[in-house]
Amino acid sequence: MTKDYAKPDEFTTLELMAVCGSRQIQNGNVVFIGTGLPLIAAMLAKKTHAPAAKIVYEAGFIDSNAKEIACSIADSRLGYRASAAIGLIETLGLMLQGGHVDLGFVGAAQIDEYGNINTTYIGSFDKPTVRLPGSGGGNDIISSAKRIVAIMTHEKRKMVKKLDYLTSPGFLDGPGAREKAGLLGGGPSLVVTNLCQMDFDPEKKRIRLATVHPGVTVEQVLENSGFGLIVPKQVPTTELPTHEQLKLLKTIDPDGIYIPRTE
Amino acid sequence: MEAPLEDKRITLKEAVELVPDGGHLFWGGFGFQRPPMAFAYELVRQKKRNLTIYTCGSEMDIDILSGARVVSRYEMAFYAIEGIGLAPNIQRRVRDGSIEIEDYTNLAMALRFLGGALGVPFMPLKSMLGTDLLAKKKFRTKKAEVMDCPFTGEKVVLVPSVKPDFSIIHAQRADQEGNVQIDGIRGEDIEGARAGKKVIVLAEEIVDTEFIRAQPDQTVIPNIYVTHVVECPWGSYPMMVYNYYDYDIEHIRMYYEQCKTEEGWQKYCSDYITAFNDHNEFLENVGIVRLTRLKARKPLPY
Repeated sequence: MTKDYAKPDEFTTLELMAVCGSRQIQNGNVVFIGTGLPLIAAMLAKKTHAPAAKIVYEAGFIDSNAKEIACSIADSRLGYRASAAIGLIETLGLMLQGGHVDLGFVGAAQIDEYGNINTTYIGSFDKPTVRLPGSGGGNDIISSAKRIVAIMTHEKRKMVKKLDYLTSPGFLDGPGAREKAGLLGGGPSLVVTNLCQMDFDPEKKRIRLATVHPGVTVEQVLENSGFGLIVPKQVPTTELPTHEQLKLLKTIDPDGIYIPRTE
Repeated sequence: MEAPLEDKRITLKEAVELVPDGGHLFWGGFGFQRPPMAFAYELVRQKKRNLTIYTCGSEMDIDILSGARVVSRYEMAFYAIEGIGLAPNIQRRVRDGSIEIEDYTNLAMALRFLGGALGVPFMPLKSMLGTDLLAKKKFRTKKAEVMDCPFTGEKVVLVPSVKPDFSIIHAQRADQEGNVQIDGIRGEDIEGARAGKKVIVLAEEIVDTEFIRAQPDQTVIPNIYVTHVVECPWGSYPMMVYNYYDYDIEHIRMYYEQCKTEEGWQKYCSDYITAFNDHNEFLENVGIVRLTRLKARKPLPY
């Protein structure tokens, strides 16, 4: 059966990003989620191809079946038909560090070519210009989850050669570095932006262009990156959302909290 | 013979008076859930100074404490107003150097409280490895150490345990003896409540001890740990309390927008904090109509 794909003018970039995130969740996966687009992506996955995915929020809600959009990862909305409500030692300690988490979603203010992430300061450590939220559970998740998907905006000042602060470990300075540092998890596997999807070269552990979103060129991606991406000979276009996925997204976020109706 | 019931109840004002300038506090609640907002507002009214706060992730509660210069140091993992934006007051206070943050991860902080509660000097974990969380520090002489496990040789990070002067927790229910029930997620409050040298529990409701003793499996903090209990309905407003009330998102958004400037923050502080003598006056000003609208619509917990 062929999928009922939407045409490029039938969806927004944020909708496409949510669908890209959603496709990373496999049925039965234990997935760590934050608020924003990852929350939408997880809700969409559960309504489509991954109804048995178990969504965990680090504040303590486990196997959540939230039906309304949440503002906070500790939002009571995430308690709706959850299987358990416990706490941080349970989620980040026993469950994550204990090796039970298949996939984690993270955001990033800056990312470098090895997938290392900054969510702490912009500017120098001693005289920062912006105080970002900090690690929260981000470092814990990227350290120990089996697989990581990052969702972020694609801008030159965010895709940088050198981070202002290394909050969370990608592949650090290259092949073998995670193992040498003693990290448990598998590291980043995909970066979803408003322009493209990027994965990691299995040998070099550096970011590699995987697909470009419809209407975006490889040149555009390179112009908006502050480091040299690995670009394969063939870069396919990102798989389009289906009409069903788009319809569901509108019911998941009816008020356009994370996916505003017009872009 | 039955022992007479101990009565640990004091008022919010009395509880805050116990905190000395320069004191170290564990700060309960997680994100939008059960932050001790009323305690934060009262710390501002009483003009406390130079506190150090230990917490995993906090938001508008601590941003108020930063704005009012109640806190000068944090050891923590997350500081923002989730779903809305970066916390506004901290931007100015970090830039002018009046506030310093020692950054850890959520798991590291939760384990530091567990370590304090267990009476051991440090805890091991597998986060922070290879990052600036290990390499860079602000004010601690020693922040974290990597060591090879003496049994397996595996690398672990050691983080120092915390035993703050006070632990401040906001819960759904407690009895007058200090037995505490918490509904919904508990963040790091279970460990934090056991780490403090003194523990102050604010509760939405004070219930009869027979209510607690009819279901002892629901007690998450037994009275042995608890020093004082404060009856404090709507104590997390404008944030949320599971099974009790939702957040007042309009108030939080107003706070966020207004506090982007120092003048805006000063106005918020005088309009919503120092204008009132206590928490009850503040609630009267919010008004019963607005509060009723936020009450949880059972069986939903929000």
